[in-house]
Amino acid sequence: MNTSLQTLIIAVVVLIAVLYLFRKQLWKSGKNKKDCGNDGCGC
Amino acid sequence: MGKQLNVALIGNPNTGKTSVFNALTGLNQKVGNYPGITVDKKQGVCKLSRGVKANVLDLPGTYSLNASSLDENVVIELLLNKNDKDYPDVALIVSDVETLKRNLLLFTQIKDLKIPTILVINMSDLMRRKGIALDIELLEAKLHTKIALVSTRKNTGIEELKQLIEGYKTISTEPCLDTTLIDEDYFQSLQKAFPNQDVYKLWLVITQDANFGKITRQELDISRFKTKSNQELKRLQQKEAIKRYQFINSILKEGQTIDRSKATGLRSKLDRILIHKVWGYVIFFLVLLSIFQAIYDWATVPMDLIDTTFASLAEWVKVTFPGGGKVTDLVAEGIVSGIGGIVIFIPQIAFLFLFISILEESGYMSRVVFLMDRVMRRFGLSGKSLVPLISGTACAIPAVMATRNIENWKERLITILVVPFTTCSARLPVYLIIIALVIPEGSIIGLSYQALTLMALYLLGFGMAIFSAYILDRILKTKYKTFFVVEMPNYKLPLLKNVIITVIEKTKTFVFEAGKIILAISIILWVMASYGPGDKFNNAESYVKETSTTQSTSELNDQIAAFKLEHSYIGIVGKTIEPLIKPLGYDWKVGIGLVASFAAREVFVGTLATIYSVGSAGEGENIETIKTKMANETYADGTKVFTLASGISLLLFYAFAMQCMSTLAIVRRETKTWKWPILQLIGMTAIAYICALIAFQFLK
Repeated sequence: MNTSLQTLIIAVVVLIAVLYLFRKQLWKSGKNKKDCGNDGCGC
Repeated sequence: MGKQLNVALIGNPNTGKTSVFNALTGLNQKVGNYPGITVDKKQGVCKLSRGVKANVLDLPGTYSLNASSLDENVVIELLLNKNDKDYPDVALIVSDVETLKRNLLLFTQIKDLKIPTILVINMSDLMRRKGIALDIELLEAKLHTKIALVSTRKNTGIEELKQLIEGYKTISTEPCLDTTLIDEDYFQSLQKAFPNQDVYKLWLVITQDANFGKITRQELDISRFKTKSNQELKRLQQKEAIKRYQFINSILKEGQTIDRSKATGLRSKLDRILIHKVWGYVIFFLVLLSIFQAIYDWATVPMDLIDTTFASLAEWVKVTFPGGGKVTDLVAEGIVSGIGGIVIFIPQIAFLFLFISILEESGYMSRVVFLMDRVMRRFGLSGKSLVPLISGTACAIPAVMATRNIENWKERLITILVVPFTTCSARLPVYLIIIALVIPEGSIIGLSYQALTLMALYLLGFGMAIFSAYILDRILKTKYKTFFVVEMPNYKLPLLKNVIITVIEKTKTFVFEAGKIILAISIILWVMASYGPGDKFNNAESYVKETSTTQSTSELNDQIAAFKLEHSYIGIVGKTIEPLIKPLGYDWKVGIGLVASFAAREVFVGTLATIYSVGSAGEGENIETIKTKMANETYADGTKVFTLASGISLLLFYAFAMQCMSTLAIVRRETKTWKWPILQLIGMTAIAYICALIAFQFLK
């Protein structure tokens, strides 16, 4: 396997891993911000 | 495609609602975003006859439709919103045979919302033993419903229940109580203002808004109605409860007979010992001790097997695909090592949840909650805080969400802030590997030192949570007081099916949720460890050869690999923070593990596995497990990296540090401000640093 192809495969795998982490930690955790409506409880 | 109907499972806590849910759906269930105690909706599919499928919702336990906590609120908001996609076609009210009277309060309230409702009486197999007899026909006629007598333990009555669900259209929606009788003038004026709406639904909207503030509802907008004061509304709610109990008493007088002389008194005998103010704590302590000993004894063999298998697999990949170059290395050292770092902990996590699930199923956990309330009151927490603290042993995320059933905001906030101190399953892999490295294998009176250390760490986490709660209780001020009510279910033999489902669900969550994060980070770390800037990384071989005096090829390869790692991207990160962590007894490689752990703690072991795989020479080396590699790690002067002092320091750091981005995100979500998660992050990390520093400086 030539070096350019190896680098390309590794770059794609890393990109997928970074995107997954970004989605999991930042994008997904920002979901479901529904208020419960109780000002006092702080939710 | 078959037709699908919505079924809501509603009931008081501890009536066996989740057992009925498991019996109806089997393994066809999915838990919302976060698994754990039922706070959000838990859904499953139940197959009925002729291609009909039921979408079953297991809603949080509630005593009535007068909500005082957030999880009860979930139930009421669903029942009030016909446009909700989960709005039930039929509601199943699950009741315990022994607490029928109290459960009927909730039943009559839901029935009065004109939703087709089936009364499910669980644990019916205990009726004879408890001296209880029910006139089902009479109860069905008086309550205008269908009754299913089921026993999830004996697996009886489930098929009959499915038939009743299928025929839900034939169930009467006639209400149990004429709700206008609560206050005729008020209810008439309410009906007059909203002639097209159901008056009981309007009443619930008003009481909900009084408890939880105004919620915008398109269909039921009551903002233009001038309602009574909160005090008056509370008085009317009490009047409603009295009217309902009068109705329930009149029915049960005819439909239920209880002959106490036929009942056995095992429960009270056991309670006398298990919640005794001295023996209760001794027994709880012994139960914990046995659990941790068993986790160690039983999980060793499968863990060793998994460890060796993954080491061989990585070696096999390298030998079989030598032409792949860097890609082969990525698979062997990044992916296989990363997966190995996840799978190895399955046996211990499965055993831990097996025991927790048995304690919950048997009814013992409720006694522990009651027992601990006495202690926790003194520290600004309530007995209800124990449920999040115990579920925190699985994961802090569902535990933080489980605080929603604590009514008092201050107690809830304190619980949220201290829950991450309890030992979650993500800490377990770190503890296990460090304990195995630095704690000797001997035993005392049949209990291994390693198991005792693990237990001590669990107690330490719990102790720190309680201590922090005490401090926070002194700092945060509030004028509200709450009272603790806990349901004491009957003792029963744990249902194997429920135990197995819990173990599978929790283990699956660890493998597929935490596991994916670990794997992604392992891959990124491998790349950072395998590439580096500058000449020293790219020409490592010539640099080493210039200075090295060794004759052995394998030693030279090791030196080159170590030199490359030191000058890789990850090595630079580790070296940068080394001055900060050196006083704690860690080298730059451990530093890399610490940095990676701030995304999630469980990444630590996988990270070290990846770093040490990269650091040691590839070809021709013997199969080395993660543990052995870490045990052999030395500083330049030949002294070991992992000693008792650095090991204890590391254990303490992991016990107290806030190293979970997901938990911070969920704390932000639950408190609606970044203030608390940031304070939590700074406070916990500072405590961890100071404790680790003191421990290392004293022990070194």
